[in-house]
Amino acid sequence: MNDVLVGYGITFGVLALYAARVLRRGRALRRALEPIDVADGEADP
Amino acid sequence: MSASTPRRRAVPRRGVTALGLAALAASVAAIVQGLVVMGPTENQGEYSRLLVVHPPLATVAYVAFGVTALASVLYLVPRTRRPSWDRLAGASAEIGVVFTALTLVTGSIWGHSTWGVWWTWDARLTAEALLLALFLGYLALRRVPAEEGVRARRCAIAALIAVLDVPVVHYATSWWRTLHQGSTISLTRPDKHLDAAHGVGLLLGFVAMTLIYAWLLIRRYRLEGLESRYEHEGLTLALDARRAEGGLAPAGPAPAADPVGALSPSGSLTRGPA
Repeated sequence: MNDVLVGYGITFGVLALYAARVLRRGRALRRALEPIDVADGEADP
Repeated sequence: MSASTPRRRAVPRRGVTALGLAALAASVAAIVQGLVVMGPTENQGEYSRLLVVHPPLATVAYVAFGVTALASVLYLVPRTRRPSWDRLAGASAEIGVVFTALTLVTGSIWGHSTWGVWWTWDARLTAEALLLALFLGYLALRRVPAEEGVRARRCAIAALIAVLDVPVVHYATSWWRTLHQGSTISLTRPDKHLDAAHGVGLLLGFVAMTLIYAWLLIRRYRLEGLESRYEHEGLTLALDARRAEGGLAPAGPAPAADPVGALSPSGSLTRGPA
């Protein structure tokens, strides 16, 4: 049973870490591009 | 991107959030079904619980690479060529690589219990490992600096070559004598069936992995778009920052330049060349 738990843990753990990385990077890029969006009048409300 | 071309979203923000919550709920349901509701089987014991994660991971990885191939074809056909197809191909391939790596890990755990070894050069396993290597190569190729169109065309061709391994992986158990078992269930073979609890577990696993893939694809695709914008506009930001430091007015429209090193490979952002 321990191996099975490890399998589930790795699967959902890795997927959660990957999702968090994608979200974090997206937020960082949006923050970096914010000055251009504001200048273009495209900033999110 | 200029003010005259506002960005449109195919899936609204609320829809993406709802998809994410659905993926989370399906994942919880799949975990409960797999670890609590489903009992051990006569042949495989506790390891049959891996049925909820291993086959869905492998199948959704096929789908991910299929999407990459389809988007690559659409990019290569001049009439449908758009940078967004290249971005979709890249986004789906990266998720496919994650799913394939997890397929190998969960398969290795399962294999250890049934075969007594973590790894063997079985046709199915070898083809799966080759698939992972091919798409890791594809992702590496996407990072090779080149003119945008050249890079996209080069990657589209590489994806179409790499995806040829998907049917090899799938049919390996039929084409060769393998340690890996063939299909677990069949619509035409009554002897290949699952009990209700395992059937529901497998179904929940497929639903959860499909929803996770869909949510990740939307998020990763948008990230590709942001990275592409940052490549083009990041230099302007850096120059404006330097001009502001020197008490000068900001520059005009963004030049189409490639700030090498503006995006660090670790995932964190640097503020362009100093």
